[in-house]
Order: sequence, then C-alpha cells, then structure tokens
Amino acid sequence: VEEPSDADAIAASWTDATAFGVIFDRHATRLRRYLVRRLGPDEAEGMLGDVFLIAFERRASYDTTRPSAAPWLYGIATNLVARHRRREFRRLRATARLAARRPAQVDEADSVSGAVDAADRWERVAEAVAALPELERDTMVLAVWEGLSYEDIAIALDIPIGTVRSRLNRARGRLRELAEPVDEGHTEHTAGRDAGRIGS
Amino acid sequence: VNDGDFDAIRRLRPDPGDLDDPGDPAVLSRTKEQLMSAIDQNQSQNQSQSRSYGPPTAHDTPDIYPRLAYRDELAAVEYLTRVFGFVEHREARLEFDGNYLCWLRLGTGIVMVGHANTDVHLIHSPLDAGLTTAMLNVYVHDIDAHHATAVAQGAKVTVQLRDAFYGERTYEATDLEGHQWHFGERFEHIKGRGGRPPDPEDA
Repeated sequence: VEEPSDADAIAASWTDATAFGVIFDRHATRLRRYLVRRLGPDEAEGMLGDVFLIAFERRASYDTTRPSAAPWLYGIATNLVARHRRREFRRLRATARLAARRPAQVDEADSVSGAVDAADRWERVAEAVAALPELERDTMVLAVWEGLSYEDIAIALDIPIGTVRSRLNRARGRLRELAEPVDEGHTEHTAGRDAGRIGS
Repeated sequence: VNDGDFDAIRRLRPDPGDLDDPGDPAVLSRTKEQLMSAIDQNQSQNQSQSRSYGPPTAHDTPDIYPRLAYRDELAAVEYLTRVFGFVEHREARLEFDGNYLCWLRLGTGIVMVGHANTDVHLIHSPLDAGLTTAMLNVYVHDIDAHHATAVAQGAKVTVQLRDAFYGERTYEATDLEGHQWHFGERFEHIKGRGGRPPDPEDA
C-alpha cells in the first residue's frame, strides 16, 4: 500500500482535521531546522507551531496537484521570518560566530591568518548577507542553505522561476561586491564593508 | 545550486550539532501536541461561529477595530490570549524598532495590540495615563464558560457576572495594564444554546 501523499493528507484534512498531523510528522524536523538557522532555537520553537497552524488554516487553498507540501511550508515559514528582521540580523551575527568556531578547513589551516582573522572574515560574510535586499536573501537562503530547487523556490515564494534566477544573480553580484571570499584570507576591507554592516 | 560564488554562504550555514542548538527532541512532540489541540479548537470555533477570520487583510478586517497601547505589548498578548481567550494571528505579528504590533481576534472582531506610542500615534497605556477612557465590548459564545476561564486565570473582575436589564448576561474586567473589557452574551443566544436561564431580576 502506498503512503498517501501530502496532497492526499491535506485533502483528507478538509473533513477530518486530525489528518493534518501527518504533514507535521513529515516536515517538522526540516522546517524547525530552517527556522533555527534563520532565527535561532528559541524563536524557532514558538514559530514552528505557527507555521503548521497557518498551513492548516489555509489548507483549502493548497494546490493538490503538488504532491509535496514542503515548498508551501517553506513559503509560510519565510513570511514569518520576514516579520522579524531585527532578530534575523542578530541571528546572522551569532551565525558568523558559530562558523568561526567550527574546525577550519585545510586551506584555512594553511593560511597565515589566524582564528581572530577567521572571526572577522565570517562576520563580514554575515554582514554581506544581512545587507542583501530581503527578497534576494530569502531566495538565496532557500537555494543555498535549504537546497530547494528553482521550481520549489518559485512555489514557496509565489514567484516565476525566472524571478528566482534573476534574484540569485543579483545576490551573487552584490555578494561579490560586499564580501571577500572567505577562503583566500584577504585582510583588506572592501568598499562594501560599511554598507554591509548588520543592523545599519 | 552548485555555485562557487555561494560557497562562503553555504559554509556559513548553522547546522544541527552547532553549539547553540540543543536539538531537543521534545520540542517536536510538544509542538505537535499544541498544534493538534489548536487545530481542534480552531475546528470547534468555526462550527460555533457564523464567520471565521483569515489574515487581517483590508478585505476582512472589520471596518472599525481598536488599537490598544501597552507598556509591554507581548505580556499583553500573553494575557489576553490566556485569560480572555483571544487568538493571536501570529502571521500578522510585526516587529518594528524592537516593539511589536499584534493582531488578536475573538469571534468576528479584531484588536490590534501595540507599544504605547506617545510621539506619533498619541496613545498611552492606562498605566501611564493614570486612567482609562474607553471600554471594549465583546460578545462571546458562552459567557458562563468565558467568565469561568477568565476567573480561573486570574482576571481582575470589576463588575460581577450578572443578567443585565438590557437583555445580556455580562461581566467586566480590567486587564494587566488597565484597559477595560466588557464581555456579554444576549439572552436569546443563551437560551438558544440551552444555557442557564437568564434571570434579569437579580441584575
């Protein structure tokens, strides 16, 4: 017997609300991880339930030709994140500190720059991410951190696939301007550094 | 996306096992339990009300809805949901300059809850103003149950539950910062649901 798809479960929940529990069971771990990445564990805990409750309230509008609910849930979660910019920026700062504490990769170990430099460089990357226009940041995070396909991002953010591509291209260009590549251990500041300061 | 330009971004990504995320497995079971009970509540509310509310868009927000000012707006949201049974529309919550704007609904009504704003919007918490100048009137589905919950949750009742001469069973309470609330249910509605018969004589 085949497992019912997400679309089947959502359709079943129109008449039997408890059928929606399966959607949580299948996607909660992944969505929680996403929220932790973007806002931190404390905020993620409260928001995880909100994502699924909002999804439940909107289930009548779910397009049941889409077997997986993951992109739809990512979209709801991303909208919630968007309402907490300040917290997101705080989290990005913490994220840079976490990255700096992670064991360095081989190329970094060989670099003359030490741990202090690594912290500084990760901070610069985080600032560059924070300085992106929010729609570009959302798109990039879904692609690069969450590994969503262009098609799934288009569904999540309710935009055409061409817009996914163009946002990623613009983000790529801006990041090149704003942040130095972390691998190369440059110590000079780029012109974009100040523009990219978190919380500015 | 397999792309050298985003390599640094990918490596910035916090992963499970990173120091600040305990990855408590109880979070999932706790959250699911709360979700299913919220779903259950959501269902029974929809059945007991002629109209249910989606997001507070211009389309389905009542034409008049108040914005209440609090010193601590998040404490207010916690209080209003726990004591008076409001449901926050979490998707609508806005963070702005470290303050929050929240939308709470009960039945077909919506109230906005925000930080006291004395510069632009000229609204104060009664705590700061030293007095209250308006009362919010709220119809509820089962006033007896509403009253019992509010009292159990520590509501400061200012007018005891009574059957008023104008055809409503009502009580009044003051919230954590002094906003004044009047809850009521029409006699016909009480009879309709088979509740304790109204007795306006003891009003």
